Amino acid sequence: MIVTPTATLPRDRHPRPIKIIRPVSFSPLDLLRELRGLWHYRDLFYTLTVHRIKVRYKQSVLGLAWAILQPLSLMLIYTVIFSVIAKLPSEGAPYAVFAYAALLPWTFFSTSLTSATTGLVSHSQLVTKVYFPREILPLTYVSASLFDFVIASSFLIALFVYYGVGLTVYALYAIPILVLLTALATAFGLFLSAVQVRFRDIGVAMPLLLQIWMFATPVVYPLSAVPQRLRSIYALNPTVGVIENFRRVMLQGVAPDLHSLATSAIAAAILLPLAYLYFKRVEATMADII
Amino acid sequence: MIDLELKQVSKKYRIRREAEKNASFLRKLMSWRNQRQDFWALKDVSFNVQRAEALGIIGHNGAGKSTILKLLSRITTPSSGEIMINGRLSALIEVGSGFHPELTGRENIYLNGSILGMLRREITRKLDSIVEFAELRQFIDTPVKRYSSGMYVRLGFSIAAHLDPDILLLDEVLAVGDAAFQQKCIQRITELKKSGTTIVFISHDLRAVQKLCDRVILLKSGQIEADGDPTETIALYESSSRNLHAQTRAGAAQEASREAVVTSLGFYDDEGKECLSFRTGMPMKAVLKYKVYKPLVDVMFEVQFYSQEGRFYSFFTSETLAGQIDLQPGEGSIVFDCSAVGLGPGVYFVDTGIRNRSAPFGIDIDWCRRCLAVRIDYDRHLRDTFYMPYICRHSPPTASITEAKDEDVYAEGVR
Repeated sequence: MIVTPTATLPRDRHPRPIKIIRPVSFSPLDLLRELRGLWHYRDLFYTLTVHRIKVRYKQSVLGLAWAILQPLSLMLIYTVIFSVIAKLPSEGAPYAVFAYAALLPWTFFSTSLTSATTGLVSHSQLVTKVYFPREILPLTYVSASLFDFVIASSFLIALFVYYGVGLTVYALYAIPILVLLTALATAFGLFLSAVQVRFRDIGVAMPLLLQIWMFATPVVYPLSAVPQRLRSIYALNPTVGVIENFRRVMLQGVAPDLHSLATSAIAAAILLPLAYLYFKRVEATMADII
Repeated sequence: MIDLELKQVSKKYRIRREAEKNASFLRKLMSWRNQRQDFWALKDVSFNVQRAEALGIIGHNGAGKSTILKLLSRITTPSSGEIMINGRLSALIEVGSGFHPELTGRENIYLNGSILGMLRREITRKLDSIVEFAELRQFIDTPVKRYSSGMYVRLGFSIAAHLDPDILLLDEVLAVGDAAFQQKCIQRITELKKSGTTIVFISHDLRAVQKLCDRVILLKSGQIEADGDPTETIALYESSSRNLHAQTRAGAAQEASREAVVTSLGFYDDEGKECLSFRTGMPMKAVLKYKVYKPLVDVMFEVQFYSQEGRFYSFFTSETLAGQIDLQPGEGSIVFDCSAVGLGPGVYFVDTGIRNRSAPFGIDIDWCRRCLAVRIDYDRHLRDTFYMPYICRHSPPTASITEAKDEDVYAEGVR
């Protein structure tokens, strides 16, 4: 017996899109068109994100607990080093919760970048076989990391309860701060993954780069510990504003430092479109060089 | 209605040569730019595909087939030229490349379906049909890493077969699965074709191409060598891929017992270039090379032309030579020089061989059956089946009658 798929619907049931393919000549004007094309693939974005999360925790005993374990273990190490041994200031809060409140967003940022950077190359099988907007690959890594962030946040709440830290209304600022952090992670993820296609050095350099980056960001120490004369240069790092302010509004329950937050926002507003344009430029011939 | 159009499409690849091993780092860095070499995978290729037409694209490895596939499916962009696609295009390329081993069959249907451009609700709607077609109902919630390779392929094809596109790109996919499943795939594709889907089929499987396509393009070194009727184009391709030399040498053991063999046969145009496509009325030269192992007495050489239906059309023979041909061991060649091809347009299969003149018909010293195919194209001086070489002389009603030189007029008349 031969089973055939459901009868084909009559032709011309949908408008036939006309597509013209030309050599690469990407202008900022095409940005909107590309975004519309991306919107068309939203289902793929969703499916791939779910896929990332599923695959990551399939066949692992601890499963979702890994999302918490990563920042947690870092917190324990840093607490021992910087609080017990080195005695760094932590602005009055217990060092453990102080470190975790910053490690939480930082882990999101760094895992986004690490996984997104290698994401394209590890899917070279797919990239050379099927077309879809390639930015979906790094984007799904960012969103899967965001999922981990949400899971790991539950532990922050547990720490708050344990140490008796109360949330204030300023904690709501965490939402726009998180949006900003996602935008930055996306911008760097897009850019670095596109570079990685041609120069595999990026993937190798990533752990080192992120290590340096973390110590250049107020994660294990407060922003106030940075000498005043270095502040202006220090603030150029776009992650400073987001990480510091996330901890500020959550842990200290005070209004965010608008100056550093604005710096991050401006950086994101410039970097994200630039990174996307660069990515789309590389995308055109990505399959040839990957 | 044109569904696909390629306008002078070219695709250039950069090949980077590896620097010399012992060159210094600085030198490597300096020569970074010079090490690039351009390679044109496609050059000025133009063709279009009508709605509901099934176009086959064939050619040797490296002829540019997969580059066309990659351009049409938007995996890469052309270096110059323009491609117009009218409608939803789906490519069915190497099924299963989007599978993840840890996920179940069902999860993989969603994953692979979305990668191929289906919407989730579309997949949900077609899920039962996909599972049914793949014959995997009981294993659908098993991780695909536990699947056999056959199951893997069936699932992959089943998903792709449900894409329901306006234009379908097919790769070597039909070469997978068991015979029964292959049959099912071909049936599905035929169904799609009947319902008005435009198909572009890129394959080495000439039989499948012949069966499925209305028109075939033969690519050679990034350019279109022939475009037209499937039978003719495939015949042309087959002839160029079949190596007479290899064919006659097939049985080395056999050879020892032979008295003589044809080692090669080639056709040459008036510029002395080896070629397999001629125009009616154009000169053609056939060169047959042979090797003799034992002394032979009274032999003859022949090159015969057959139509595609197998009808004998014409031939070259050594019988035209005066005297008997006796051969001593060694290598030799014989040339048939034809000043004007008389065959009409079409593809002709060529037989060649060495025979003993006194032997009964069918007993040959060496005979190569259908070893080449020659294509003959129309020329402006041919109206029907045959061409008769002639020289035209004209005496205009003027005062002085001058006779034109034979050669001049002859050349004029032919080209």
